[in-house]
Amino acid sequence: MNQLVTLNVNNESYPIVVEGRTRLLDALRDKCLLTGAKEGCSTGDCGACTVLVDGQPVTSCMVLAVSAQDKKITTVEGVAKGSELHPVQKAFMECGALQCGICTPGMIMTSIALLNENPKPTRDEIRFGLQGNLCRCTGYDKIVDAVEQAAQLQNAK
Amino acid sequence: MTATEPRTTQTTGSNGANGDGHQIGRSVSRIDAIDKVTGRARYANDLHLTGMCHAAFLRSPYGHARIKSIDTSEAEKLHGVVAVIHAATLARDMASVVEEEMHAARRVVKLFPGEGETVKYQGMKVAAVAAVTKEIAEEACDRIRVEYEVRPALVDVRDSIKDDAVLINEDSKPADPLPDGPWAGMALKNVAGQNHRADGDVEAGFKESDKVFEDTYVIPRAHQTYIEPHVSVAEVAPDGKVTVYTSTQGHFAVRSNLANSLRMPISKINVVGMTIGGGFGAKFGGVVDAYAVLLAQKANRPVKINYTREEEFLDGRPAPGAVIHVKTGVTKDGFIKARQVWALWDTGSGSGGCGATSRVKGVYKYDHFKMDAYDVNTNKPAPGAYRAPGAPQATLAGEAQINKICAEMGWDPVEFRLKNMREGEQLAFKETLKAAAEKAGWSTRKKGENEGWGVAVGEWTNGGGPASAIVSLHEDGRVRVFYGLMDITGTDTAMAQIAAEVLGVRYEDVTVVRGDTDSAPFGTASGGSVVTFSFGNAVKRAAEDARNRVLEQAAEHLEAAKEDLELKDGKITVKGNPESSVSFAQVGQMALRSKGGPIVGRGSFASEPSATTIAVNIAKVRVDPETGKVELLEIYNSLDVGKAINPMACEGQMEGGLVQGFAWGLMEQMRYAPDGRNLNAGLLDYRVPTALDFPDLETVLVEEPTKNGPFGVKGIGEPPIAPGVACLVAAVADATGKWIHEVPLTPERVLSALKS
Repeated sequence: MNQLVTLNVNNESYPIVVEGRTRLLDALRDKCLLTGAKEGCSTGDCGACTVLVDGQPVTSCMVLAVSAQDKKITTVEGVAKGSELHPVQKAFMECGALQCGICTPGMIMTSIALLNENPKPTRDEIRFGLQGNLCRCTGYDKIVDAVEQAAQLQNAK
Repeated sequence: MTATEPRTTQTTGSNGANGDGHQIGRSVSRIDAIDKVTGRARYANDLHLTGMCHAAFLRSPYGHARIKSIDTSEAEKLHGVVAVIHAATLARDMASVVEEEMHAARRVVKLFPGEGETVKYQGMKVAAVAAVTKEIAEEACDRIRVEYEVRPALVDVRDSIKDDAVLINEDSKPADPLPDGPWAGMALKNVAGQNHRADGDVEAGFKESDKVFEDTYVIPRAHQTYIEPHVSVAEVAPDGKVTVYTSTQGHFAVRSNLANSLRMPISKINVVGMTIGGGFGAKFGGVVDAYAVLLAQKANRPVKINYTREEEFLDGRPAPGAVIHVKTGVTKDGFIKARQVWALWDTGSGSGGCGATSRVKGVYKYDHFKMDAYDVNTNKPAPGAYRAPGAPQATLAGEAQINKICAEMGWDPVEFRLKNMREGEQLAFKETLKAAAEKAGWSTRKKGENEGWGVAVGEWTNGGGPASAIVSLHEDGRVRVFYGLMDITGTDTAMAQIAAEVLGVRYEDVTVVRGDTDSAPFGTASGGSVVTFSFGNAVKRAAEDARNRVLEQAAEHLEAAKEDLELKDGKITVKGNPESSVSFAQVGQMALRSKGGPIVGRGSFASEPSATTIAVNIAKVRVDPETGKVELLEIYNSLDVGKAINPMACEGQMEGGLVQGFAWGLMEQMRYAPDGRNLNAGLLDYRVPTALDFPDLETVLVEEPTKNGPFGVKGIGEPPIAPGVACLVAAVADATGKWIHEVPLTPERVLSALKS
């Protein structure tokens, strides 16, 4: 059944019509027209659709849009401040932590949440924190480099 | 030979110039990185066209069955359905799709099997529906009634060749029986292709040998598992012109596939290559594009096909599995004398792949080599290319056995390889192996309890493909590169660096524009490690052409001879007279009013291969004797890249490929039930590595230029995946004393070997 919900995404209100079964991922991509979150598996295994809900990383293919009402949703489109990129975005660019880029939005969101929780992670802790996000291009090494560098950038501030 | 010193390129993550003004050899960020970290990059699934409908497929639930009847009437009645297609709705001459893939056979397969014909694998397409929503399209598929008569299925190539095996492709004829090897005298049914080679005289070679080893290696099918599933969006103009927006490694390849399967001239088809979310060989067309066009034609509306992950596993084009028997003769002083190989490749319902058996020969100097290799049908989807197609499988057999021979003979596997490796101009096999061995501390390596070391090498010779490019200078002094290259690995960035280097501008001053197939000059598809080599040559030539015009224009303005000018830092200066200079922007503006007109350079390159390169893997593992779990402790790798245009991007290719290789040896396998059903069509059950599965990687670049590559570039995308499986098998054997001949080395397989 169709219903009107309002999603708070990247500090903007999106009044949209969804069905009870509409996934948050589809609401973001098809209704809010924010296509940064990607669909890789639809079963919560690949992490490409990761967004933050009240600061916590969630796979948006496993969340119903209606359940995300009244929550603060952040997508990859919302992490830069104007033209000033987030330190995690900068570090991903500089370290070669992306190739095809399809996992990148999810990786970035998980990395941001990881650094919020643990501002000085070890490389092992970074690997542990990223285990829900699959990347098939990089072999992960440069992604770990990037999160390490982002931590340094953030801590230097 | 003029080998350069093996050089380690340190990754600094630095984005700055290397100080000498050169634009090649700089570890710059990808040109598309900003779009990818902000979510702006547009992939095919991000596209939404006005009036666009969504497609779903009805697929065979059986591994092997004959279709008795198809009834789509209930589906067509469903409100919201705009098109239903299946074998009977297609024009007779349109009922096939031509799949042309890099390094795989060109093959013609029907778009759909019709009544009386057979479905050959679970998930084979039987009908397709387009509807206003994906849910309605799926509901319509559920309403299509198909009656099947189930047939026995074949899932192991060793069963497919037997005399009593059912035929999967009913017109296939048995191959001539073999005189020798593990399958000597057998019927060889279900053979879909074959490849034979004989160098020298293997029998004589085995007689000259002091010891002969024979082993059979088994490797399963693996899926490329790009994180972006196949997506294609098609629209048809009133005059019949077709436009396809797709996720592909080669939009010109998709265009020719479509022209062949739809019986249309290429001028009536425009293919727009969107940002691609990984391909690894699987995305050259043939899987979704023709269906999107047929549905769009019938519906008279744009149609999007968006594969699910399950569909990728059921009906993608994964890498073939293989059973490879290899016999090797060595002398007691440590030289290879002869190798003979027999191989059955699991090519599912299709063909293509067995030629890669040649790679068992390896990079060693010996005269006697013979192989008999077959593509064998099973009830699985046809195979596709996967990064260095066939190399990981063949390298498993070739290289794991080298390690086994060394272990049994008491030889050091690095020293043995160095002693047997080929040498020659433009080759750096030994240097590359030494570089990895040095990094790993091979000669002083230590291992604890249940730990072991492995080493393996994989070779690759990139082909060339036709490529062309246009380099122009704009009035603001910016350089533009225009071509039809599909960027999967960072090649746009490398091309900008090459153009910048030739023109003496900064990489940051170059814009790269990719055209669709209507606008861009022709270029080969991005696969087989050809692109930086082929397009690099084309871009370099185009930049040189533009440079010549820039110099002409500047010479006229500065009243100096062309030979007396130099291009540097975005300026053209009279040598020895820095006062006398003109900027690129000024030259760009002046050219508009000059006799020669705007500055445009053209470059074309025809097909030719580069010199061979190798990738080396060295790994240290620990095997848990209680559980059989293999833990990767240390991994070192080196590759002769010819010339690193962008060292950071080279490392990215090497590390990504390496992880795919090891993962095939450690955890990846497509599993099938005896009736042909796929048992792991999802990412929870088909495990690919996470960040937790691998240690930090030590990566070393070696640069031995190839003469015909731009600045010496060799193709590097493929080789990194080749040696991993063999390296892992060797490391586990060193840790456990058990040589396991079938991968992946899952805990249960390792445990059962430990208990044997």
